[in-house]
Amino acid sequence: MVGSLKAPSPPRWLLAELTYSCPLQCPYCSNPLDYAKFSNELNTDEWKRVLKQSREMGAVQLGFSGGEPLVREDLSELVNYSHELGYYTNLITSGYNMDEAKILELKEVGLDHIQISLQASSKELNDYIAGTESFEHKKLVAKLIKKHGYPMVLCVVLHRENVHQMKDILEMAIELGADFVELANTQYYGWAHHNRDQLMPTQGQLKEAEAIAKQYQVSQEGKMKIYYVIPDYFENRPKACMNGWGTTFLTIAPDGLALPCHFARQLPNFECPSIRDHSISEIWNESDAFNYFRGDKWMKEPCRSCPEKDKDFGGCHCQAFLLTGDATNADPVCDKSPQHHLISEAVERAAHAPKEQPLVFRNSKNSKRIG
Amino acid sequence: MSLLDSNKAIQVSPTYRLQWEETQDMFVLLYPEGLIELNQSSAEILQVCDGKNKLNDIVRTLEEKFSVTGLENDINNFLNTALGNGWVTQSA
Repeated sequence: MVGSLKAPSPPRWLLAELTYSCPLQCPYCSNPLDYAKFSNELNTDEWKRVLKQSREMGAVQLGFSGGEPLVREDLSELVNYSHELGYYTNLITSGYNMDEAKILELKEVGLDHIQISLQASSKELNDYIAGTESFEHKKLVAKLIKKHGYPMVLCVVLHRENVHQMKDILEMAIELGADFVELANTQYYGWAHHNRDQLMPTQGQLKEAEAIAKQYQVSQEGKMKIYYVIPDYFENRPKACMNGWGTTFLTIAPDGLALPCHFARQLPNFECPSIRDHSISEIWNESDAFNYFRGDKWMKEPCRSCPEKDKDFGGCHCQAFLLTGDATNADPVCDKSPQHHLISEAVERAAHAPKEQPLVFRNSKNSKRIG
Repeated sequence: MSLLDSNKAIQVSPTYRLQWEETQDMFVLLYPEGLIELNQSSAEILQVCDGKNKLNDIVRTLEEKFSVTGLENDINNFLNTALGNGWVTQSA
C-alpha cells in the first residue's frame, strides 16, 4: 500500500451518480467516453447502504447527479432517506422532464437545493449544445424551483461556443432568480477531452468573459453569488484537485464503483473498489485506490521538492495521465512541469482548430463507437 | 465598517443550515454544495441567532452562559462578517 499511514480524515462530500442515462448530449460531459458499457446500475437498497455507511463515516454534503438523476424512479425515496440521515441534499439536474409536481414532491421529502444547468443564454445555442430541445422548459423549471422556495444554483459550462454570451448568461441568471451562479469553464476530461480542440476558447475570449463576470460579482454582491471556475489550461499552477485525493470527496458511480474523483475509473492499472464487494469504511480507509495519492510519498520531481506541494498536491492526477500517460507525473498545467508544453500546444492548436471539424455529442451510439 | 443594525433581530439565513456533526465533533453551516466548519465561538453565536434576539440579547445570553464580560466587540465583528457572507440576515 502506498501513501500515508495516518488514519485518513473522513469524507465530507458524497457524490451519488445515480445513472449514466441522460436525455441531453452535451459534448463536454464528464461521464466516461465508454459509459454505455456500464449498465448494471445499483438498486435502491444498494444506494441506501451507500448513503447510510457514508453518513456514518461523516459525509454530510450529498449530491445526486448522473447522467440525469431524475431518470431514476426511486429518486424521491432516496432523497427522503438521505434527509432522514441528516444530509444536506443537492440535486444536480438538467431540469429536463421536470415538472411542478416533481418539484413539490422532492420538497416534501426534504430536498434542500437544486442546481439546474443551462447550456447557453439563447435557445438556438442551448438546444444545439444540449443536443435536445430544452431551453424554454429549463427556464420554466428554474422559475418553478424559485417559486417553491429552494435555493438555486444555475450552472453554465463555458466553452468557445458560448463564452461570448457571458453578459446575457448573467442577465438571464438574474431574471431567473438564481441565488448562486456557477460559471464553469470546461474541464477537459471524458467527452470534453475528446472535443477539446473544438471547445477550448481563445485567451482573448476568456479575458473578456472574466472581466464581465468580475463586474457582475461586484454589482450583484449580497444578492447573487457568482463563482467563476478558472480555466486551468490558461493558468500556470494546477488546481488543488478534489481538495486532495481521498481527503474530502467520495464519488459512487452508477454501477457501484467507488471513485476518489469521477474520472478515476479511467486510470489504467487502477482498481477502483466496488460497494458491491466492500463497505464504505473499507473503501475509504483501506483500499489501494483511495490511499494511492494520499500524502506525498507517491510524488516525483518536480513535485517532491516543491514548496507548493501542500497547496496543490501536484494538481490533477487524471489530467497528468490524460496528457502525459503517467498519473504520477506533475499536472502539466504547472509551468514547473517538464511537460507544460503539452498545455501551451493544446491552447495554440485549439486557437487554430479547423471550423469544419464537428463536435462529437455524448450519446450511447457515440459511446459505443469511440469509448 | 458596520453593517449590522443593532435594533433588528438576527437569524441564520434561510439558504443556510446550522447542524451538529457528531463524527466531526463540531457545528457546521451547510448551504448549496458547500459547508463551513465552525469553531466553538462562532457556533455559540449562530445558535442564538433565532430571529428574535438582537445584538444586545446575543451578547447578554452568551456572557451569562459563559460567566464572562466584554464579548460585545468580538460578537459584533463576527456577526458583521456573517452578514457580509450571507450566513445571517436581519428582517426588514
